Order: sequence, then C-alpha cells, then structure tokens
Amino acid sequence: MDACVIRDFVAVLGRDNVLTEPTELRTYECDGLTGYRVVPALVALPGSAAEVAATVKVCARHGIPFVARGAGTGLSGGALPVADGVVICLQRLRRVLEVDPMNRRAVVEPGVTNREISRAAAPYGLYYAPDPSSQQVCTIGGNVAENSGGAHCLKYGFTVHHVLAADVVLADGTVTTLGGDSPQQPGYDLLGAFIGSEGTLGVVTRVVVRLLPKPATVSTVVADFATVAAAGDTVTSVIAAGIVPAAVEMLDNLTIQAVEAAVAAGYTADAAAALVIELDGPDDEVTEQFGQVLELCRRHGSTNLRVAGDPAERELIWRGRKAAFAAAGRLSPDYIVQDGVVPRGRLGEVLVRIAGMADAAGLRVANVFHAGDGNLHPLVLYNRAAGELERAERLSTAIAELCVELGGSLSGEHGIGTDKACSMPAMFTQDDLDTMQRLRAAFDPEGLCNPGKIFPTPRLCGERPGPYRPHPLEVAGVIDRW
Amino acid sequence: MVTRLRPESLAELRDAVRDGPSRLLITGAGTAAGWGGTPAPHDAVLDVTGLNAVLAYQPSDLTVTVQAGLPLAALQDVLAKKGQQVALDAGRIARGATVGGLLATADGGPARHTYGTLRDCVIGVTTVLADGTVARSGGRVIKNVAGYDLAKLFHGSLGTLGVIAEVTLRLHPLAEASCTVAAACTPERSLELAHRMMRDALEPVALEWYDGRLLARFDGTASGVTRRARATGFEEADPSVWQEVADVSLGGPGDTVFRIGTLPGLWPWVAARVRARTASPPVLSSSLGAGVHTVRLGNTTASSFDRLREDIAGRGGGTVVLRRGIEVPAWGPPPASVAVMRAVKQRFDPSDRFGAGRFTPWF
Repeated sequence: MDACVIRDFVAVLGRDNVLTEPTELRTYECDGLTGYRVVPALVALPGSAAEVAATVKVCARHGIPFVARGAGTGLSGGALPVADGVVICLQRLRRVLEVDPMNRRAVVEPGVTNREISRAAAPYGLYYAPDPSSQQVCTIGGNVAENSGGAHCLKYGFTVHHVLAADVVLADGTVTTLGGDSPQQPGYDLLGAFIGSEGTLGVVTRVVVRLLPKPATVSTVVADFATVAAAGDTVTSVIAAGIVPAAVEMLDNLTIQAVEAAVAAGYTADAAAALVIELDGPDDEVTEQFGQVLELCRRHGSTNLRVAGDPAERELIWRGRKAAFAAAGRLSPDYIVQDGVVPRGRLGEVLVRIAGMADAAGLRVANVFHAGDGNLHPLVLYNRAAGELERAERLSTAIAELCVELGGSLSGEHGIGTDKACSMPAMFTQDDLDTMQRLRAAFDPEGLCNPGKIFPTPRLCGERPGPYRPHPLEVAGVIDRW
Repeated sequence: MVTRLRPESLAELRDAVRDGPSRLLITGAGTAAGWGGTPAPHDAVLDVTGLNAVLAYQPSDLTVTVQAGLPLAALQDVLAKKGQQVALDAGRIARGATVGGLLATADGGPARHTYGTLRDCVIGVTTVLADGTVARSGGRVIKNVAGYDLAKLFHGSLGTLGVIAEVTLRLHPLAEASCTVAAACTPERSLELAHRMMRDALEPVALEWYDGRLLARFDGTASGVTRRARATGFEEADPSVWQEVADVSLGGPGDTVFRIGTLPGLWPWVAARVRARTASPPVLSSSLGAGVHTVRLGNTTASSFDRLREDIAGRGGGTVVLRRGIEVPAWGPPPASVAVMRAVKQRFDPSDRFGAGRFTPWF
C-alpha cells in the first residue's frame, strides 16, 4: 500500500493501531473458514465509532475496499480480506454501554461477545436469546452481519428478531442509525434488510438488543434412538402435537463418539442418534408438554431417556452439543462444516442421500443438526495431507445444493460469504441476484464494502451462466413460476 | 375513472406492470388506503386481490406460501383446521386485509408483544419490480440466511418499491387455552404492573394498556393459563376486548389515527403529551413491551397535531399516520436513515411508478 495512504490511516488511528507488517497481517488472513486465505494490505484497529467512520472515510477517499471483522469465528469466509484492501477489526470496541432493565434492552459496541451480553443482563433476570455455538467468543457485530441463530432459534428466532437498532457506518464514511427505540419505525425496514447482509452494506458501531426475561422453567432430555429415522419421526410428532420446543438438536453416532471423546458429556457412545430436546416457559406448560415429549420419544422406540436433573447437567449436555464442531477434529485431521437447510419433512431423505454421496466420494460425513428447523450441519471429514481436499469441497458443495433441490436453503446460519457464493445460482435466478444488488448499490454504490461475498463473480466462479435460466426451485418442481 | 388492473396470476401481474400505464397505485383490500401520504395522481390502480391462492401449506414444517392478495382472515381459517395460525392480530384483518397489504403496511396488533409483526413471520417473498422483473428472496424454510432478505425492505414500504406477489410465512400453533385479565390503572402504574408481570416470567402473549385498564392475555394449557392469570391478581376479562384494542387503529370518518414508536418506558409521557395537545379525549392504546402506541383523535387541529409529532420526535419517537381527519403532512421529522430510504427507492423504482405521494414530503 502506498505510503501516503498508510499515513492517512495513521493520522486517523495512530501508528499503534495501523498494522502493515506482513507477520501481523497474517493473523487476519482468514476467519473460521480456514481454507480461504488472503493477506490484507493493512489492518485498522479503531477504538471508537468515530474512528471507524474516519477509517472508512479514508478507504472511500482512496477507493480501497474494506472488510469489517469481529472475532473471526465466521464459517463461510465472510470476513475473508480483500487483497490490497483493509481489514477493520472491531475488537477494541467492546464496551457494554448500557443495560436498561425497565425497557429490557442493552446497548453494546460491536466487539462485545454474544455471551457477555447475557452475562451483563443476568443480574436483572434477563438474557439475550440468540445463542450461536461460538457464543463465548463471537461478537454481536458479527452476529448482526450474519443474522446468527443458534440452538434456540426455532422458538426464539434469529438476531434479526432481537436487534432494535444499529448505528452503521456506510461505505462513504457517513454514519446513520437503522431501527430505533421501538420496533415501530416509519418507512422501509432497513435494519431488517441490513441484518444478515454479511458486512456488505456497512459497518456496525453500536447495537441495541432486546433482552428477554429468563423463562420460569427449563426442561431438557437426551433421547437415544436406534436409527436416525426414528429420531427424525419423533421430531415431526412433537411439532405435530403443537409443541414448539426451545431447541431440538440431533447428533448422529459419529458425532456422539467425537463429542464423548472430547468433553465426556454423557452421551451414549453406541446410540445411532441422540436428540436433545429442550422446553422452556411457564411451569405448567413445560411440565405438561415435557411429559408429552417423553411419551412421544418412548412411542418412537427411544432406547434411553436422560432427563437433565439440574442446571449443571443441562449445561454439560449443551457443552457436548456445542463442542460438536471442534470435536470433529478427533475423528479426522480436517473437516468442512456445512450449513444447508431442508424442510423438516425431508430430513430422513436428505440424510440417506448424504450418506450415499459420502460413500460415492469415499469420505465420511458426521451429522449434527438443528432438527427442529431442518438446519443440517454435516461435517465432511477429510485428510488434506492425503490429497482429499478437493473431493471434500466438491462433496460439501453438492450437499448444500442438494438442500436447495429439496426445497431448502444453502445456508441456515453461517452465511454465504466466500464459501457458497458460487452456489447462489442454484438457489436464485440472475434476476433475483440482480435485485439484491439494487439494495447493495443503494447502500454502497462503489462496491467497497466487503466485496466478493454472497454474490457469484466470474473471478471466483468462472463465467456467469447466461441470462435465461428456469428458477432452480421450478426445475425441482417445488414452485411454479407462472 | 382511473383504470383498474386486476391480474389473477403472477404472469398476469408481471405483464400488467411491464405493459401497463406509467403510474400505478397498488391496492389489496383497501383497508389501509389512508396510510401515509395522499397518493399523487396515478394512471391505474393495480388491484392484487385476484391473486388469492394458498400455494403451499406444510403443517409439519410450520410454513405456508400464499399469493399476496389473499385475505389473512381466509388464510387463518385454513390454518386453524390444522391447529395453526399466523401470529398477527391487527385490527384490519377482520375487515379483509390481505397478507401483502399487512406486510406492506407493517401493521400489527396486541400479539406484537410476543410475535412482532409480519416482518418477524415472513421468510420469503416474490415481488414484481417496476421494470417487470420478478424477484424472489428468502425461501420456504424457517431458517435461511442465503442472500439479502428483501421481504424486510417491503415491510412498511406502502406500495412504493414494487408489488408483493407471493409471501411465505412461518406459523405458530394455536394455543390450547387462553385467558384474559384486566386491572384499572393509570399509564404510570401500568408500566410497573407490566414490568412485574414480565419479571415474574408469567409470559403474557399480549400486554396492552387500553381505555384505563392494563390488559394481559395468557396462552397455553388450560391449567397453566388459569394459574398465571391468577398470579397477576387482576380480574378476568372478556376476550372480545382484544378486537376493541386492535380496532383503535381503524377509526371512522373525521378521525385522525396514528401510531407512535418510543422507548416502552416513555408511555406515560406519551399519554400525557397526547392529552395535553388535544381538545377532546383521545382513544389510546399501548403495547407496553414494545413501546408501540396507537392514538385516535376525534377532534384536533393541524397545529396541535404537528406540535405533538415534534414533541415525540424530540424524544426519539417515530410516527406513522394511519388516517387523517385533518389536513396535515403525513410524515413528521424524518429519521436519520431517510437518505438510505431514498437511495433504495431510487434503485428499485427509478421512474417513481409505484405509490407516488405516499412518502411525501420525505421523498
């Protein structure tokens, strides 16, 4: 990067908060999707919202692309740097500015971790509901960018349902506020469109989140099954009974083995599948519905029911579930996490087909997923040293696109990022994508804000397909266009 | 007489937009015709009530896809047979409001306390833009983060960005039992009572101050709702009161109706300001958890209404006018993000074909 441009950043941030040494820059070359790496030209470490705006202004003035970054735990390469571009790291903006128990909200800076918000709210009997598995380290700014979900989003929704307002630095360095003190806001819901835009519409510098009162009762069970299909049918019966559990998670045998080896959370090592079902809410409702859930598990042939006896045991069960990705390292030197979604009714079908595809590719796939909403997290296990990377990536992409074919989505919560941008034409037509680009252009006409993410580009994906294509869901017979 | 276009399929809708006259006023059932600014002269009314089919209903997935002109009440009847619902109870629904219209107006009712508005239930949308582009975003599964969520953009758009053609919604189960309670109280006192109820994790599904009383509704099992209702210490109330609350937003001839969003804790201040600025007693309701207040004035002047709106903006509140019995601008001081709204409008509808006048004087 040109020395006089670097001087502009230094003038805004001070020498200590501008990184240009190759060894320092390498720390930022990837996020949680480590297969993609790009060393940025410069890393900016602003310490305030005003410094973020000033940094973006310098970028805008020189036409330099920039990528905002929180904790770098994203799994889709959403925070992958742009070569010759700037990474704006928001880790220094990590203050909880206010917890307002009367209005049940907290005001936080973007670098505050998800878990810290609930910790700050706990003295008031309140908590922040979205709980991605990485909540110990992932930041609220990243959660806003990715519209993060978590295990409890079947009942409680996603980040977009829990953020009331955000201060945003736009691509030209101007600052605006999206949303406000109440969900009732005049005009287009720009905040709703911004959340989940994967850092392509602006940089968040302040977030107002909604806090919920802690539920009166929580009940959790781990139910073992002899087949994955029986576990899947159980989930369908629970929903059909009019019960919306706070969480329904499924782990297959490979995942159970990995989790047990890693954290010894008390899962049954030889169960073909385990369901973690959690209900929360008022006492009577939870007690009655939990009884129904246990009965449905038995009726579907559950081989073992382990009801959490106290909060510590519940915590242990969840620690096991949330450690599933990391534990996959015990099964295989390398793995890819997928994030596709299928309509819940097709869970059994998709699992059979994934198993077939894995066999054909000569690779193993462990499955752990949010069974309540059909969000799969197949873990494609491979050995890079044995030259299996390319095969694993092909399998991983094929799984994501299979989910679309079955009427679902490429991504339930990890985002499209760099990872799945080339698969977007499997889910959306060129017209759909061009329409999304209109929103992009309204926020960032120069395309400086996290370029190369979400949308397929010739550089990343090869030549674009021609202008006419039937909608992929039409081909699948899921929708009729006309 | 203005031309009326009434397509009956997505293809006909696309053609009507692509080949139709320049300036179009999009309408569903017309239950929110007075919302926002007065429409500028237009060449045709584009009536989407001919698109009224249920396209796909998967009870086991808690999702439904419908054409946007379907009245929500008709959809609720279909869903109720499977013990499910769209969790929205805006006053206009009983008057035939359509799914697309309820999304475009960002309307809500007392259940917003728990379920929000259609923004919180919509998971996919198909729209027709001014140049005839048919664009989908979102999907048909509850959990999905692929691409931008354009459905959100159309929430509150009042027919100015494009035509909402199809909508996919997430559903909620109907409760087995429900119980409504009420206690007479002032707005000040209602805040304390509401806070206590939430703190005690009683989980009211709706919590609303209306006409001198704090109302709470509990949904759940028969024994559960009775126990929680009792724990409030309130009197049991007739559940028909919820329709009355929702109906505050409707108003009649000569009424001025508007909706205000503020910090929930500002509710007593809002109530006091509204009373101070109006000659005759207003009809007021407030969703205490969300900070959404609906106000109906039978008799007011333009200058006192303007002052009231400025008072509210001064405390960070936004106001949407739902009905104007007097001549006032539809919109008060614009929010900080109005420049982005203008840019979005410019990109989606550069020749201003849809709903001109709705956001005057902002754009």
